[in-house]
Amino acid sequence: MPLPNPMRRLSPFTLSAFFLLLAAVLSIAVGSVFIAPGDVLRVIVGALAGSIPPELEKHALIVLSLRLPRTVLMALTGAALGSSGAAYQGLFRNPLADPYLIGVASGAGLGAVIAMSIQWPYSFWGLMAVPFSAFLAAMLTVFSVYLLARVGRTVPTTNLILAGVAFSSFATALTSYLMLRSTGEVRRALGWIMGGSTQAGWDAVLGILPYLVIGVGVLVFSGHALNLLQFGNEQAQQLGLPVSRAKTVILVAASLSTAAAVAFSGIIGFVGLIVPHILRMWWGADYRRLLALSLLGGATFLLVADVLSRIVIAPQELPVGIVTALAGAPFFLWVLKRAKNQGYW
Amino acid sequence: MSRKLILALVAFVLTLAACAPAASAPQPAAINLTDGLGREVTLGGPARRIVSLAPSNTEILFAIGAGPQVVGRDEFSDYPAEAASLPVVGGSFGGYNLEQIVELEPDLVLAAEINTPEQVKSLEDLGLTVYYLKNPTTFEEMYANLQLVAVLTGREAEAQVLVESLRARVKAVDEKILPLSYAPVVFYEIDATNPNKPYTAGPGTFIDLLIGRAGGVNFTSLAGITDPYPQVGLEQVLVVDPQIIVLGDSMWGVTAESLSSRPGWDGLTAVKEGSIFPFDDNLVSRPGPRLVDGLEQLARLLHPEQFE
Repeated sequence: MPLPNPMRRLSPFTLSAFFLLLAAVLSIAVGSVFIAPGDVLRVIVGALAGSIPPELEKHALIVLSLRLPRTVLMALTGAALGSSGAAYQGLFRNPLADPYLIGVASGAGLGAVIAMSIQWPYSFWGLMAVPFSAFLAAMLTVFSVYLLARVGRTVPTTNLILAGVAFSSFATALTSYLMLRSTGEVRRALGWIMGGSTQAGWDAVLGILPYLVIGVGVLVFSGHALNLLQFGNEQAQQLGLPVSRAKTVILVAASLSTAAAVAFSGIIGFVGLIVPHILRMWWGADYRRLLALSLLGGATFLLVADVLSRIVIAPQELPVGIVTALAGAPFFLWVLKRAKNQGYW
Repeated sequence: MSRKLILALVAFVLTLAACAPAASAPQPAAINLTDGLGREVTLGGPARRIVSLAPSNTEILFAIGAGPQVVGRDEFSDYPAEAASLPVVGGSFGGYNLEQIVELEPDLVLAAEINTPEQVKSLEDLGLTVYYLKNPTTFEEMYANLQLVAVLTGREAEAQVLVESLRARVKAVDEKILPLSYAPVVFYEIDATNPNKPYTAGPGTFIDLLIGRAGGVNFTSLAGITDPYPQVGLEQVLVVDPQIIVLGDSMWGVTAESLSSRPGWDGLTAVKEGSIFPFDDNLVSRPGPRLVDGLEQLARLLHPEQFE
């Protein structure tokens, strides 16, 4: 266990919640414009009390309309990716599974690029066209993969993975083709595919919230089912789990939350793959705990990555998808190397 | 008598009328314009603190004399030299630093077609005034853009002078080129990251328009290409065999030597005759007033005898 001694005595939840809070504070306090921590506090207290001191108006705009919604969006996205990743790994009983395994990312990418190739009027719905089309295409992809993989009344996981990989390659090829053919939208599409929030403000948060609440809510309570599924389908069935239905419910919930997150934040890799692994190494593979911990851990990890993306080459910003892999991979390898519990999977 | 009186009265009223605007406080009239996204943009008066989000916008602002009103620029705005000292508000990876823009307290953010509608919306949500300038497709549209920006910045007089001089310069080129019967075929290389399949500019682009106006024939029109930015293989280039190759990618290190050493390219007439010219791509790819510089330089390249 790589965790320092005193931390081991605290409950994993207390510890995760504490770090999430710390990351959120960091994300609100740090930005390319320096705002003294006291001023940040005064802005937030002022906003809660309903009156912001006039000399802080500009900083209030930055904190309340830029940093706060971005922090919430990144935390929600990370939570969705972390918990969906844990659920997929449990469902497929495969350590390489991540939330994009059966085509959510490639489907969303295709949907986004198709929507970007059309000139939408500048209106609420015109601006919603890209996230909406990405979400729709992601769900359609998962649904098609599910239908293609189905054999009679069962859905073998191997079939799901293979159909997912094949369908993903197909969608990715189409996306590349559309990007090459398009004239002005390549930068926009590339930015979206590398990940990071594209639209500032609260609209995106409100847009994904309902799907996340439903999707992640279902996932958090499917720990018991996932624990049983680790014994294999037949044993799980004998232990009283309606296997086919449980699998479908988990699949839909994970895909729903991932698709919603991807629609507004672009394709952010690696979070859903490594966060559940790290937490498994630290606190074991009991899915009743792991799902909720992955939710908190995913949010924390993405918030930290997002803060890094803002300061590494300030005043420019790196796409957060680059940071998650660039900083996340060495961190993951470090944890992997130090983990005494090598038989954790 | 009465006629004299009337004249006096008229003179008196005229004097009053002339004095009236000067007498009251100089209240600038509000500016109402529709931008390239069809948005209604209202300014209380000419913009005093402008953030430019594109190199073309920066060049337009400085060209019409509104340079002193610019307080921020995107990373790629490197012309004119005075612009370099302005604070940078992002632009790489297609992203902008919204915090930095808010901090500069601009009364106008001048966006361009390289900006996404999402970016315009984000800026708008922060309470900023954003004007989205559409790319021109003709010289007349480019002049109209100059005059639009002039209205936004209160530089109408300067813009008028500039547009007239630009018109005169284009006309001077036209007068030299139009009587000519010979038009060389031009291959304009934009990007040779893949040297076997470089990108060129096709119909609908300003580069295509400028090649024609400078007295050349764009390679793509003979190759039957309809894409605006096609990627073409050596075979297609060989079949058309252009007389002149213009290296718009010379700023990325492509030279006549490196092009000639590409396998198979030595079969081209332009390579054999050494008609390969480096070119400042910024003059033809940024939709601003320097397009006229681009036209003049292209015309000089294609018909040097006319400019001796």
